[in-house]
Order: sequence, then C-alpha cells, then structure tokens
Amino acid sequence: MPTPTRRDFLKTASAATLSALAAGSPRGLRAELTSDVLLPATADAVIVLWMGGGMAATETFDPKRYTPFEPGVESNRILSTFPTIDTAVDNIKFSAGLEKTAAVMDRGTLIRSYRAGDLGFILHSRHQYHWHTGYAPPQTVAAPHIGAWISKTLGPRDPVVPAFIDIGQRFDVGEGEELKAFHQAGFLGTEYGPFLLPYPDQAVNAIRPPGGMSAERFKARYEAYKKLIARSPVAEHGSDYQRESLERSVDNAYRLLSSPAAKAFDLSEEPKESYDKYNTGRFGLGCLLARRLVEVGARFIEVTTEYIPFKHWDTHDNGHTRLSELKPEIDAPIAQLILDLEARGLLDRTLVVLASEFSRDMMTEGKPDNQVKDQVEVPDVVNELKYYGMHRHFTDAGCVLMFGGGVKKGFLYGKTADERPCKTIENPIQIEALHATIYRALGIPANHGYEIERRPFYVTKDGLGEPVMELFG
Amino acid sequence: MTGSRLLICLLLIGGLAIPSRADETPALPPAVERQIDFHKDVAPILLGSCVACHAGKNDDGGYQVSTRESVLAGGDSGPSVVEGNSAESLLIHLVAQQDPDRVMPAKGPKLTAAQVGILRAWIDQGLKWEEGFVIRPKYVPAELKPRKPELPSAESAGSEHPIDRLLAPYLAASGHSSTEQVDDRTFARRAYLDVIGLLPSPEDLNAFCADSAPGKRAMLVERLLADRKQYATHWLSFWNDALRNDYQGTGYIDGGRQQVSQWLFTALGENKPYHQFVRELVTGAPGAEGFIKGITWRGVVNASQVPEMQAAQNVSQVFLGVNLKCASCHDSFINDWTLHDAYGLAGVFAESQLEVHRCDQPKGEYAPLKFLYPELGTIDSQGNREMRLQQLADLLTHEQNGRLARTIVNRLWGKFLGRGIIEPVDDMDNTPWNADLLDWLAVDLAEHGYDLTHTLGLILTSRAYQMPAVDRGDRDAETFIFHGPVVKRLTAEQFSDALSQITHHWPEKADVELPQVGGEPAVKDVGVRAALKVSNPLVTAMGRPNREQVVTSRPQTATTLEALELTNGQTLADQLAKGGAYWQSQGVERDQLVQSLYREALGRDPRPEEQADAETLIGPAATAEGIQDLLWSIIMSPEFQLVY
Repeated sequence: MPTPTRRDFLKTASAATLSALAAGSPRGLRAELTSDVLLPATADAVIVLWMGGGMAATETFDPKRYTPFEPGVESNRILSTFPTIDTAVDNIKFSAGLEKTAAVMDRGTLIRSYRAGDLGFILHSRHQYHWHTGYAPPQTVAAPHIGAWISKTLGPRDPVVPAFIDIGQRFDVGEGEELKAFHQAGFLGTEYGPFLLPYPDQAVNAIRPPGGMSAERFKARYEAYKKLIARSPVAEHGSDYQRESLERSVDNAYRLLSSPAAKAFDLSEEPKESYDKYNTGRFGLGCLLARRLVEVGARFIEVTTEYIPFKHWDTHDNGHTRLSELKPEIDAPIAQLILDLEARGLLDRTLVVLASEFSRDMMTEGKPDNQVKDQVEVPDVVNELKYYGMHRHFTDAGCVLMFGGGVKKGFLYGKTADERPCKTIENPIQIEALHATIYRALGIPANHGYEIERRPFYVTKDGLGEPVMELFG
Repeated sequence: MTGSRLLICLLLIGGLAIPSRADETPALPPAVERQIDFHKDVAPILLGSCVACHAGKNDDGGYQVSTRESVLAGGDSGPSVVEGNSAESLLIHLVAQQDPDRVMPAKGPKLTAAQVGILRAWIDQGLKWEEGFVIRPKYVPAELKPRKPELPSAESAGSEHPIDRLLAPYLAASGHSSTEQVDDRTFARRAYLDVIGLLPSPEDLNAFCADSAPGKRAMLVERLLADRKQYATHWLSFWNDALRNDYQGTGYIDGGRQQVSQWLFTALGENKPYHQFVRELVTGAPGAEGFIKGITWRGVVNASQVPEMQAAQNVSQVFLGVNLKCASCHDSFINDWTLHDAYGLAGVFAESQLEVHRCDQPKGEYAPLKFLYPELGTIDSQGNREMRLQQLADLLTHEQNGRLARTIVNRLWGKFLGRGIIEPVDDMDNTPWNADLLDWLAVDLAEHGYDLTHTLGLILTSRAYQMPAVDRGDRDAETFIFHGPVVKRLTAEQFSDALSQITHHWPEKADVELPQVGGEPAVKDVGVRAALKVSNPLVTAMGRPNREQVVTSRPQTATTLEALELTNGQTLADQLAKGGAYWQSQGVERDQLVQSLYREALGRDPRPEEQADAETLIGPAATAEGIQDLLWSIIMSPEFQLVY
C-alpha cells in the first residue's frame, strides 16, 4: 500500500483545515512541500529506542578489554566489566548480556563514533534536549522535538493515529521540567506535540472511553454532543475558524477512539506467547506497543527505558550490577522488535534507532581533550563492587544502533581507541549528521524548515546537517 | 519611491547590455578565493546595498534580489547574472563601476572591491542561496515619540467615547459601522471572562440584564475592575507567560530561577502604575528579582543565552515589542538591531564587562553600554549595576519613550479584541491598522499615570468592544480590516475555572502562596483557581506554555491532542464525576437541571429542542452518568469554549 504523504493529507483536508493550517501554523520556508522538496524516502516510520541516562558504550555495543572484579583492582585498568561476545556479524562484538540483539546485528548498522555536544558541566536532560531537538538549550524560541518536526513535515501516516507518540517517560520522577522542555512541538504548535503514553500496559486507556464508560454510552454521548452543537445559537453565526477547529479536533479524537487502529494500543490483544517475549518490564512492553502502532500506521514513536536521575542507565555507582539487571530488560525486546518487524515486512520501511545522550567511562568526565567538572568520586583502587562500573559521563564516543529503513545490514561505522580514553578515532558523527541521516531516510532535506519570528528555523542546526550517505544500503 | 528616482533607475538599467571591455575600463576586482557562505557573506551585502530599490514592494528596473530565482531572472535589461561566470554577469559590471554612467547601487555607498570579490566568488561558485531565505527590505523602525492625535468630532461619531470617535472615520471608510452592539448577556460574558476570567453566575447575569440603569455596562466594567483579587488572579497567567514566571519550570535543579509570584500578584492587586511595574521588574526590586535574573542552566550556555542577554531580550520583547534575539548572536537580518545594540543593553545587567561574541565566538571587544534608543539618554558605563539599572528604568519610562505605552496598550487591545492594533504584538515596528487609535491610547495611558485599569475600562466601554464577534479570518497584518472583536478561545485557565464553576468543584490547595489584596469583590468568592496551580495534562493540552520562553499570546487553534485529553483524560473525567455527583445531589427535576446547567455554563436558557435533547441525554432517572455526559457535551461545545 502506498504510504499517504502530507500532500495527500492536504488534498483530502477540508477548506477549514487548510485555513486553520494557514492561520495557526508557522509558515514553511518553501511555498509548498512538493516532491522537489521531499527526497526519495527509504523509510516511512521511525522508532527511537531511548537509553536515557547515558549508556556506557564499553559495557554494551563497543566492548573493550574485560577486567573482572576483584578487590584491589586499579580503576584506571577497567574498560569493560563484562566479557565480549560475538554477534551475527564477524567484525562486530558486543558486551555479554546482549546475546539476542547480537543475533540480529546482521539486520542493522552500528555507529560507534557518536560525539555528544560540548555543553559543559553535565546535565542529562540538557544533553537529551540537544539530542532530541538538535539545538543546545536554552534557545530563544522553543525548539521542536525531532518527532514534532517529522509530524509537522510529513503528517500522520494513518490519519487517525497520532503522528508523534512517546512511550515510557513520566515527568514526575526528576528533572521533569527539563524533560518537558523538549518533549514538545515548540514553535510548531501543540498539534504536532507528543501523544504521551507513560505506561505501555495502560496505553489502551488513552484511546478508549474514560474509565467505566461503555462503548454504547461513549457513542451516545458523542452523538448527543453533535446534535446539541448543531442546535446552538452560535451555529447560526455563520462559520468561524475557531469553531471549526474545535469541532474538527473533537471529531478526530472520536475517530481515533472508535477506529480499528485503537486496538493496537491494547496490549491485551497480543497473543500471550508473543507478549511474554517482550514482557521484561515497561521498556519491553513499550517495544511491543511500538511494533503494534507501526503496524497500524504510526509515524514517529519513541520508547524510552525512562530517564530518572541516578536510575537505569544513569549509573553514578554500582554500574556493573545495574547493567547486569538492565541488559535483560532491553535485550530480548529489541531483538524481538526487529524480528517481528521483519516478519511483517515492515522493517524495510521502518527505521529503528537506538541511542543515548552520551556514553560513560570510569575515569573521564566529558571528552579527553575537554574535560568538565567531575560529579562522581572514583577511587584509585576498586575494593567494593559499588565502585565497579562506568560512572562518569563520557561524551566523546557513544553507540547508535540502527535497523531497517534503508540502512546497511551488518555494517559497522566509526571506531574508538582500544585503550583509555577510548575516544573516537574514525568517522566522528555529531547530532546534526545523525539527525540529517534520519531525516534523509524519511526524505526530508536537512535544510527543511519553517519561519518563526521572521527568522528561518531548520530541522538541523542552521540547515547544515549532512546525512551520512555511507550508512544507507 | 519618488518619480525622479524611478526615472534614474530606469535610465540606468533599462536597455542595458554588458559593455565590451574597452582598454581604459578598470579591471574587475578578483573573486575572493574561498568558499562563500551565503548567510554570512552575501546576504549582508544584498541587505545593505540593494534592498531599498530591489526587494519587497520595490522592483526598480523590474529587478529584485529577493530570491535566487529573481536574481537569476534579472530585470528589464535581461539576466543579471550568468551562473558560474561572474566576469560576464551584468550585476558585477554594475557594482564594479565598469561604466561610470551605470553604477549600482544608484544610491548610497558603492561596493568595495572586497564586496565585489565576494559577489563574484558567489556567482562563480554557483550562486548558493540559503534555502527559503527571502531578502526583504529593511524594516522601518516605528516612531518612538508619543503622539496624541486630535480626536475626531463626537458629533459625527455619535458618541463622546474617545475610541468611538477615533474609529468612526475608519469604520465609515471601510464600510462598517459600530452601531450594532451585542446584547447584555453576550456583553457580560465577555466582560467577566476578559476582566476577571470567570463566567458570570446566573444570578449576577440576570440582575445585570434586569437592570434598567443607563450606563449599566460601564458600571459593570467598573465593578469588575475593582474586584482586585479576581482581577489579579486572572491577569497573573498573562504576566506569568510574559515574565516566564512558573511555579516549577526549568532551572530549578541548580536554583536557576526565581519566582516573582508574590510581587506580581501584589502589583496587579494594587494596580501598580505600569511605569512603576516596569521599573521594579527591570531594576530587580525586592520580590521582582527573578525577571532579569532569567534562567541559569547548568553547564555551558551559548553566549546569546547568558542571563544578561536573556534579560536584554526579554525586557525588549515584553516592554518594547522589540525582537533582539537575532541581534544577540549577530547583526540582525530582520531588523536594524546590531550585535553591539544587544551587548550594549545586556551589559547593563552584567556585574562585570560582557565580551561581545558573534555566533558564540569571542570577538575580543566590548560594546559601550547603551539603551536601544540612545536619543532618550545615556547609560553610564562607569556606574555600578544598581545605578545602571536605574538609568535603564529611567529611559524605559522616559516621557519621550512612546513605545513603552504603545506596546502595552496594543497587548491589552489584543487580549480583549482578539487581535492587536499591531500584529504580531511582539513586533511593534510593524504597521498598525489604525495609528491614531494606538497612539492616542498610549498617550492617554501615560496621561492617566499609567493606570492599566483606566485603559482596560476605556476599551471595554467602547462600541468597538461591544460589536458582534467576527471570524478571525486569514488576512495578514497588511490587509487586515477591523470590523469587530475576533472570536477568542478560552485560555486553559479560563476553561479550568469555568469547569470548576459549573461542576462546583475546585482544587483543594493552591501551589503558590499569595498575599491578600484589597478591592471590592464583584462576585462571590470562588475556590482555588487554575492560575494558582502548577500545570496538569489538561491545561498543558489547552495551551498553557511551559514558560521556557516569553509567551505573549496563547494558541488559538484547537488540537487533536487537546481533544483527546478532553475526551478521555483523567483530569477532566474526575472533574466531571464530581460535577455529576454535585448536580445529582441537588435533587432537582430533570427539566430544571438542564435549565440550571445551561444558565451556569452558557448564560442562557436552553432552546426547546436543546432542552429535549439534553433531557434525553440525561435519561429519565437523571443519573450521575447522564449528568456527566451532558456536562461534557456542554463544555466541549464552541459556545462554551469560545468567547463570542
């Protein structure tokens, strides 16, 4: 089935929609999104798997020499706290605990040279803002999340499914305001903002009638509403754009809630055997939900392990122990997601991107040549298990894993040094290029943008992001 | 454009062909040998030397430099450039003064050899253009001084009211009239929502409609403005957005933000004169320090976003409708403000000298301190910070600074009439649709001791405010014609409060502690209002911003995400359940229940067919569920969510 484009959406949209778009939205830098603007796409949908909190590369997808724990071991000797394992690709090794993902590595591309921004004294949520918007905070205009850019530019894939869905992040678990600052559509307008589903197993609540309301009652309420507004005196005023905008939004919401696509939000509809494969916790179920949503036409989905200060990947202590618990949570669901998408014929047109705001290291805070203020005490010699792990924030080399959506299969890009500080030594890639690559897969030029306050604002900083074409098959 | 200049331009360009190179012709300056950056190298030349005659509305010689296409297309004398070959390009011959009779720019300084070299390299390198960028004519700064136009005659306007008098000729000229006025109910609903942000209760509304006193509308306006507590609570949200004052908000992790809530609420409650209000915010008076303190993020921040620069940007935007954001990084392309203007102002807020950075790169230089409008006076670079801030406040509130008052009266007009006299309201150099109205209101505000409630009262009692509401339409600032207030959406806070009113259920506890203010209550006191609560998913979906940036107008478009939140969100569902229980507990008959709900929510009785449909929805037993569903249908209706 050909994927509906934004142009199709515009063609079918009512005149009222168009006037609303014109009146309420920032002006595109080009008169119209035409095929001259959009490039040939290799992907129609994107799933970002977000390892919030700083995923240590040497403990996951870029393992180095393994130093087992024993009291008295020198901190500076420790590069990896897990042994190395093989993957389905000869020249790519992973860290132990990621066997299932290793087995599907032949479907994807691994980048080991992601260089995070130089934002000074580390604050996770700032780096996450930078990763997600391509702009370092603070900004003078509210920079949109990559999901919002995509939602605005391409529109929904299926008109009833929200174009930007965010799974797993709550905002009351620490740095909530900082997280909210980028989980938004910014100047593009709230229409393009995230549909938030913090609890995948409760996602169905977001698209079904409010608690306790039967489908019949829900339908009756909507029908009564339509009748009542038609009888209201303001209906005789003649048309006004605000009224149409309001009525249309309610109709859209009703359409989603009563559409077959709504079933995708309901994980209880998944066969038990399959559900169990994903059920490692909220992240695992988030991956399942993402797959189900892509199947019904979602455009951009982010699933996060959830950023909570000092939790999950944010290992300020007990790094090794924590990762021993965390890896099983992510390994099976990621692999299953790739296999399921492939089995359904969706992987070719769905770009899956696993990423984190930066990496971690035992010794270096920031970059080797641009160190920043330490936040974690690291003893010279490790005597207790709690000091065994990557506890500092390392921004010089992180891993990004990509599957499907036109990227090469079994491909390795970028290289890091085998000895500390394990910096990027080949093909460094920064957020502008990474974003440009994701946009390129979707057919969006890196210099696409909109005008706000009479200035141009682009999907990549200054419109200058260069996609890494080498990553495409 | 004057006729003579047009003639000169035509003579210069019309029928031109590239002259053959005679021996005595000076050599073309060489193309510079480096990669040309359109934004940094070329745009400034086009903007500096060409736009006056060849952009925007001007196309002298049939030629524009607005877009790459227009440059390639050339003018009356044919293509202006040969892509990849600057030596053969007419543009280069003209700017390089190859023919003394035909030199461009026709007016102003000629291009330097270096500039010609840049243009040559640009053409040779394929005429790269920044996608979508349009070269626009230099903007024209608005007049700074106050101006008080003479009021047109009261007689021909048929009204003593100054706004009516000012608008009578305007409306007549555009074929509109302000004689049609909305009925009492519509007027009261508008006024309650606009002044205090609440729905009128059915009792208050009936009493107002039944009142036969002439001038009762003016009396209502006066009463509402005197209810300082509700007035201040309502306007708190507007100012919280503008001043980035949030009860949570980014930056708290390192103590990077400071609230001004108590100060602000008191200032609104006491109706602090606006020039004093501005002075206290700009000088960081006790309790008001947070505004110029800005937001401090942990780590390294772009030079254009350091707290001092935030202060410069925000003071300019909020109080003067000046956009200094571009200029805080580089000389602006969209207006005349320069990097030095921005640093000159930012430096006023700095404890120590601020080094000028261009695009985040240190320049090794320092800008002399100055106000944006130096004609009003100077700021003493030698003075300490406190003294400088006082000087800045003096200049902002200087009697010759008409812009301070124009900016705020335009905002107030925009809040009430749905659209400013100038739009966008943060860009006060744009052309007003009625300069006399704007200028008069501004001077009038100053003459009344900067009493904002005076201006509010004046607007609310004008015929313009009482005209029937009109569609927002899609006219831009240049073609807009005023013919009545524009339909507005309830803000997130108005909606939440109205919901609390009709469900008789208010939040239990405020998230911010505010002082008592005086005044005469105009309405029965209500519970904890939405302005005093931190954001929840409902108000976020309804458009309350996260106050990361200055926001001075809320979104006017309803969104699907918001409708989803309103269709099945928990916040609303809980509220409706409370409302259903309340109304059921009243033990009234079904027909009365429908009437009461319509009166409370919409300020009117249901029509017979509405009554019938509503009763069907509630069901014969008037269950809590049935009542909830009717409540939902009402609050989702345009009549409830919009202000007509």
